[in-house]
Amino acid sequence: MSTSTIVGTRDDEQVPPAGGQRRRRRTSHQVEASAHHRGPMWTVAGYAGMVLVVLVIAVPLFWILLTSFKERGDIYVRPAQWWPDPPTGQNYSELTTRIPFFDYVRNSVIITSATSVAKIVLGVISAYALSLLRFPGRSIVFLVVIAALMVPNQITVISNYALVAQLGWRNTFQGIIIPLAGVAFGTFLMRNQFLSLPGEIIEAARLDGAGPMKLLWRVVMPMSWPTLVAFALITVVNEWNEYLWPFLMSDDETTAPLPVGLTFLQNNDGVTNWGPVMAGTVLAMLPILVLFLFLQRQMIKGLTAGAVKS
Amino acid sequence: MNEFSRRGFLGLAGAAGVAGLAACAGTGTSPTTGGGGGSSNTIEFWSNHPGNSKPVEQQIIKAFEAANPSLKVKLVDAGKNYEEVAQKFNASLAGGSLPDVVVVSDVTWFNFALNKQLSPLDELLSTAKIDTSDYVDALYNDYNLDDKHYALPFSRSTPLFYYNKDLWKAAGLEDRGPKDWDEFLTWAPKLKAAAGSDKIVMELPDGSNYLDWVFQNIVWGYGGAYSKEWTPTFSDPNTVKAGTYLQNLAKDGYLKLSKDPAPDFTAGIVGCSMMSTGSLGGVAKDAKFPVGTAFLPGDGNCPTGGAGVGIPANIPDDRKKNALKFIEFLTNAQNTVTFTQATGYMPVRKSAVDLPEEKAFLEKNPNAQTAIEQLPKTRSQDNVRVLLPGGGARIGKGLDQIVQGQDVATVFKGLDAESQQVFDSQIKSKLGA
Repeated sequence: MSTSTIVGTRDDEQVPPAGGQRRRRRTSHQVEASAHHRGPMWTVAGYAGMVLVVLVIAVPLFWILLTSFKERGDIYVRPAQWWPDPPTGQNYSELTTRIPFFDYVRNSVIITSATSVAKIVLGVISAYALSLLRFPGRSIVFLVVIAALMVPNQITVISNYALVAQLGWRNTFQGIIIPLAGVAFGTFLMRNQFLSLPGEIIEAARLDGAGPMKLLWRVVMPMSWPTLVAFALITVVNEWNEYLWPFLMSDDETTAPLPVGLTFLQNNDGVTNWGPVMAGTVLAMLPILVLFLFLQRQMIKGLTAGAVKS
Repeated sequence: MNEFSRRGFLGLAGAAGVAGLAACAGTGTSPTTGGGGGSSNTIEFWSNHPGNSKPVEQQIIKAFEAANPSLKVKLVDAGKNYEEVAQKFNASLAGGSLPDVVVVSDVTWFNFALNKQLSPLDELLSTAKIDTSDYVDALYNDYNLDDKHYALPFSRSTPLFYYNKDLWKAAGLEDRGPKDWDEFLTWAPKLKAAAGSDKIVMELPDGSNYLDWVFQNIVWGYGGAYSKEWTPTFSDPNTVKAGTYLQNLAKDGYLKLSKDPAPDFTAGIVGCSMMSTGSLGGVAKDAKFPVGTAFLPGDGNCPTGGAGVGIPANIPDDRKKNALKFIEFLTNAQNTVTFTQATGYMPVRKSAVDLPEEKAFLEKNPNAQTAIEQLPKTRSQDNVRVLLPGGGARIGKGLDQIVQGQDVATVFKGLDAESQQVFDSQIKSKLGA
């Protein structure tokens, strides 16, 4: 039984698709109506604002993409080249030959998926315990977890290093993954989400004889889907970009993830050839982008499912 | 599932809590001997591969292993720059598994040496009967503390004066660098007229990107210094004069500071700059105009820079011996030539320039020749910049303020006081101890 099928069933039972659509259409009418009400000036201003924001975000990304297809001599020129001329795939082939790029990708995937799964699972079950189960010392445990959130990881890095090095885990995946798997943030976020659920529903489920596990999977989780997806997304992006700890732990391409690997394209004393660096950045961005587009849909689906409950 | 007990759940929650705590716990009670990890015939070499040198390093390591079949060298990616290597080394000092050989820059080595975390090499060198007189003196003596040497020069660079030959021609100047900074001042208006309003005569790195490194040249050129031994001399009239010179360059619109002048220079927006020799290869490759290089203005006023290789203090003696063997091999005449030709760094051995392959290389690359000819005219940097904790950043900040127009004498007086205070509180008691 995977979670997604359960959610799917709930969707089908409780949110008839037609109803969802109708509601959405109604909201969009309201938005349109109010836009008319405000007059064309506001609409124009709105669009101008939107275009501005898109430009601010998109131009640097576009520039990265563009540079990744430029020849070395064309990167720093004035006036700037707004289209690679001639375009070249050279940077991409250099990227894969100058550093063991695919080794880094493999390591990134392993580290990101393992830490993310660990973080999400630990986050959800610990938050569940801290919000909906009653046991002695609950608030103290929660305080300790929150306290952990207050300590920046730069401070704990040295002592973590000492511990892991003594275990002989340097340059191993467990050495990188296990210390990263702690989840104060997830616990905090999910606990608050669980607490915000209407107590009546929880109570009703309990009266109907749902045990703790069933309560979590069938009642609490489906209603918390958007928060969970957001949390998952933040976690995955963070882990994918994690630099300091993997850098300290890894010695070479057997365990080092992409962010560490890409730095070896840069020249620390002299002129960096930015073409391959940009190519690497583009390729490192892609998986996260795809994941985001995919999860975003889930998030919206979850939002409408949540709207039904009250 | 319904039978899942509350007790079971408590257990799970507890486990989660412990895992969370584990992420921030753990202080190392490290074993003092050996530092764990690393067998005695594997040499772990922690490098940031200065100047994209990983392939060359591997090539040299291969040659070393062929010459010493009983020894293995493990090359470790220890960071993207010198600061990151220092950070990683610092972490390993706290927790064991020390490397055998580590790259330390002109700024990072001293703190490790002062805290006795690097081995003094002199005794090891004399036991192994290694002659150090072939190392370029200024480079070798950069790692000197209390008459002991804590590293051998490896990837060493100096600044060079880079100029755009096309602009020089347009301004009607001779094809050479300025003799001194006074001469440059007579050139600047001509260069500005030739360059036009949208170009800049000179661009230097800003205070957070080693302006304090290249500015030493101007200071020394006017007879000043950041410090004499450990006494800061920013308030010295000559040092203030150099500061005023820098300020006036900016005030008159000849000088701009940026994070990295290399891109602007190669794009042809900037007439000249002082940049590391390490930039030579990249600039020559990227620029679409003839690039000229010259000595830094003045005579014997060129600061050294870059990094050396050291050996940690707390490893067994036989590991130290092997490590030294590797370092000697890495920096011998043959290999320093191989390494520097691939990267743009300076050969660290005097005899290197006499090797036939180096002679042929220099004939083909006259700009690299400039750098090597300048090498005997280099001067070890002032203590308050390279040896005081945070020295470079502190001076860089002061120089930024000067360029922005703050009073030179006031800023330099402040630097004097700050540097003195840092010395008194952090260095003084450890010296000679």
